[in-house]
Amino acid sequence: MEYEAIIGLETHIQLNTETKIFCNCKADSWGEPPNTNICPVCTGQPGVLPVLNKAVAEKAVLLATAMHAEVRRVSYFDRKNYFYPDLPKGYQITQFDRPIAIGGYLDLPMPEGYTRRVYIIKLHIEEDAGKTKHANGYRLIDFNRCGVPLIEMVTGPDLRSADEAAQYLIRLRQLVRWLGISEGNMEKAHIRCDANVSIRPKGADYLNPKTEIKNVNSIDAVREAIATEIQRQIREVEAGREIHAWTLEWDEDAGVLRKMRSKETEADYRYFREPDLLPLVIDDEWKSQILADFPELPLERRARFMAQYGLPEYDADILTTERALSDYYEAALQAYNGDPKRVSNWVINEVLRLLNERGLSADQLKVTPQYLAMIIRLVDKGTVNTSTGKALVVKVEDTGKPPKQIVEEEGLAQVSDTGALRAICEKIVAANPDEVEKYRGGKTSLIGWFVGQVMRETRGKANPKEVQKILRELLG
Amino acid sequence: MMELLRMEAHEIAAAVRAGKLSAREVLEATLEHIASVDGIPGSIGDDPEAEPDKIHAFITLTAERARAQADAVDAKIVAGEDPGPLAGVPFTVKDIFVVEGTPSTAGSRILANYIGPYTATPVERMEAAGGVMLGKVNLDEFTFGSSSESSAFKPTPRNPWDTSRVPGGSSGGSAAAVAAGEGWLSLGTDTAGSIRQPAAFCGVVGLKPTYGRVSRYGLIAFGSSLDTPGPIARSVRDAALMLHVIAGRDPHDATSAAAPVPEYLAALEKDVRGLRVGLSPDYFRIVRAEGGELVEEPLPAEIKQAVLDTAERLANMGVEIVEDVPMPHNRYGIPAYFVIARVEAASNLHRYDGVKYGYRTPDRVADMREMYRKSRGQGFGLQPKLRILMGMYVSAAQYSERYYQRALQVRTLIRRDFEAVFDPEGKYRLDALLTPTTPTAAFPMGAVYGDSVLMQYADQLTVAANHAGVPGISVPVTTDADGLPLGVQLLGRDFDEATLLRLARAVEEGAAFTAKV
Ligand SMILES: [Zn+2]
Repeated sequence: MEYEAIIGLETHIQLNTETKIFCNCKADSWGEPPNTNICPVCTGQPGVLPVLNKAVAEKAVLLATAMHAEVRRVSYFDRKNYFYPDLPKGYQITQFDRPIAIGGYLDLPMPEGYTRRVYIIKLHIEEDAGKTKHANGYRLIDFNRCGVPLIEMVTGPDLRSADEAAQYLIRLRQLVRWLGISEGNMEKAHIRCDANVSIRPKGADYLNPKTEIKNVNSIDAVREAIATEIQRQIREVEAGREIHAWTLEWDEDAGVLRKMRSKETEADYRYFREPDLLPLVIDDEWKSQILADFPELPLERRARFMAQYGLPEYDADILTTERALSDYYEAALQAYNGDPKRVSNWVINEVLRLLNERGLSADQLKVTPQYLAMIIRLVDKGTVNTSTGKALVVKVEDTGKPPKQIVEEEGLAQVSDTGALRAICEKIVAANPDEVEKYRGGKTSLIGWFVGQVMRETRGKANPKEVQKILRELLG
Repeated sequence: MMELLRMEAHEIAAAVRAGKLSAREVLEATLEHIASVDGIPGSIGDDPEAEPDKIHAFITLTAERARAQADAVDAKIVAGEDPGPLAGVPFTVKDIFVVEGTPSTAGSRILANYIGPYTATPVERMEAAGGVMLGKVNLDEFTFGSSSESSAFKPTPRNPWDTSRVPGGSSGGSAAAVAAGEGWLSLGTDTAGSIRQPAAFCGVVGLKPTYGRVSRYGLIAFGSSLDTPGPIARSVRDAALMLHVIAGRDPHDATSAAAPVPEYLAALEKDVRGLRVGLSPDYFRIVRAEGGELVEEPLPAEIKQAVLDTAERLANMGVEIVEDVPMPHNRYGIPAYFVIARVEAASNLHRYDGVKYGYRTPDRVADMREMYRKSRGQGFGLQPKLRILMGMYVSAAQYSERYYQRALQVRTLIRRDFEAVFDPEGKYRLDALLTPTTPTAAFPMGAVYGDSVLMQYADQLTVAANHAGVPGISVPVTTDADGLPLGVQLLGRDFDEATLLRLARAVEEGAAFTAKV
């Protein structure tokens, strides 16, 4: 029998606000000692009250808008009551029945060519809890993470394969970075993901019991864990066994899923309105302020790059992985005012390499889009040859000097003077009688070697086409 | 010394600011008086019957801290600076407020060892205004009660008018302290009447401001949507003075209001002529559920008469008295309160789990759950446990619609009662309602305690203001046949404490009542 997987993802996105959601503690405690970014409010001391950090609401509005969700004018905070040592108040402040946004979807263009639309069934703001660690028979608690702002976003059961699930996370990560609302680093738990997985015969319209996979903290892990679970469920069903609603934990090192606890009944969290916070009102004025600089989204920009500039899908995809890179590309293209594909090649090959090597983002480069356009122009005009042009990209980045200045200072301008080149070529030919003989004897591939000798003599500045022409003449 | 103690707080502040009295001198006189009347402070496991003729208002007397504050006030005077409107006025704080460096116990074993790491906003404001904090006074455990007897700290406060009687509650230590001259002012809290009822029982003035008027930051929460900090004082003027200091927006409390804070003392000078004050038959009876039936009981004649006499005196001052004002949903105030306050309380008490601070069971435990169960089981007294049980029950998913959501609807209806009678375009156009504060005078110790439901009905005349968020004030007007004080209550419009205080001042002026001290 052929099966299809039914997958829904529950993600928690850690927002990159300066301070926590309800107090003035620093939000990001990555790498800091335990319990150093805490205060009476986020450790749940008696008598404290939460005060909403407005930046959290603003970032949620950005994400909701990007997900095509409707932003509620009035939403509410609720208490989710449960006991856990790293939950200092004994309840989590979250949004339950009137969250900040309703509905929404994300389109996933798949490498195979189709697009999967994933619906969003929940999008709300909440606070994070602390971290518990077991050591030497003790339970150690770090409250640094308490009150770190999160957006919880849950998809419908709309994903059909482990690859689609991975693609969702890739696109989500791209989107949150694009919007500037989260660092989106899964290894640092900026995006956390639980996956609900079930299978059914292909084409069936019912849902089977699902399992929930927790603790998957990279995109590869999500893909692997889901694929593993799909295979397990198929084996179980084929063997005539039932699927139980287990909660599973992904052990990344061993590559196996472990059963955590059975989850047949939902806990009662006794939700009720948080009386310590006023309703969150996002009126038109505030909303338009938040959305004033709302960017073109990655998929829209990707489509536009293909339509407007005639770029291949491959180029458009790479150029839109990060907002800064796509902005860079467009600025360079505008400054260059020529063939979009030519600029794309330079960005994808030279600029991207530089970014990767140096761990920079495109907006941090000293080779500004304008400088890049100048460099390409210098190559176009033959002032420098291509390899000098590529070297220039690095030199400009290293020095911050304008490309032309470097060309002048270092004498990098291409030697195209036929007389000078002819003299050098003659010298090379004269100095290598053996090779000349071989060439004339039919080994014409040696032309490349001769060109290389001339280039070396000119420290790379010779116009290779011109050199080849002269050499053929001399050797001919 | 008694002469000094009989001065009003605004007179003390004026004398200190003028250099006629030193803050230290005022403080030492007060401390001496406390030493003579208060007896042993409440402590865990002590004898509830100890020193039955003393007041026992305090849990923690912070004399050295107070001396440092008084000296700082005096130093400012010497330096030519103004220490503020409460210059040198000793005050007490209900031990439901967290104060940095002092035990902040909520009257519970579970917080008996808790030292505050920060200071509650209203306390901070009083200290910044030159007030001198004497210490923390006793209360019902987590404010759950109307007699202060449920405190884990024994002996619990006694009524200065008759120490065999309760001072009321939950701000019983506050009212008893102020009535007995142990400090001029006390910061209390009112969730269903917890400022007004003890004020009435002890013959002092108790003001529950509008919800949001005074910051709750640092108030250990009971029913967060109802809790309101407010002043207890020996005179309306002193209550006005204190309210002005503690009122106003606080960035630490999202529910605190940005409404401007008027000059309350100046408002007292205005004439009450032409103000409209209503009397409601719904405040002259107690309605309670008994075996599924609603039982209606009229108030004792003395209580009703005190209100009618007050109305007559106000009428003589030119106030228009409007009779037969309907407040039809007042009778549902208690049942709705049972549900809402308990749901909020159960959740607010979640944090006391033995993990981070407070009481943790010394017993060996097998696991986390047992640690929770034992710590909470041993740390909480009967009243918190009752509230947790009921709060958990009525907020459970399957009952929430039936109880909690309905209670919230009732609350809206109660609010509408007030909106209707205060509507300037409406039929009644009231500036205030005049009602009794309590259905009885102070009851004997041990009398009603333990009967939780009946005790709660004592709040029927006060709780509606908490549901609606409107301000209310209790003013002592007379004494009953047993010589116990009786108070009347004025309920007013949102954020219009100024009018309320103005009327309260008129009531106080006309009343034949002499303070205990
Ligand atoms: Zn904090």
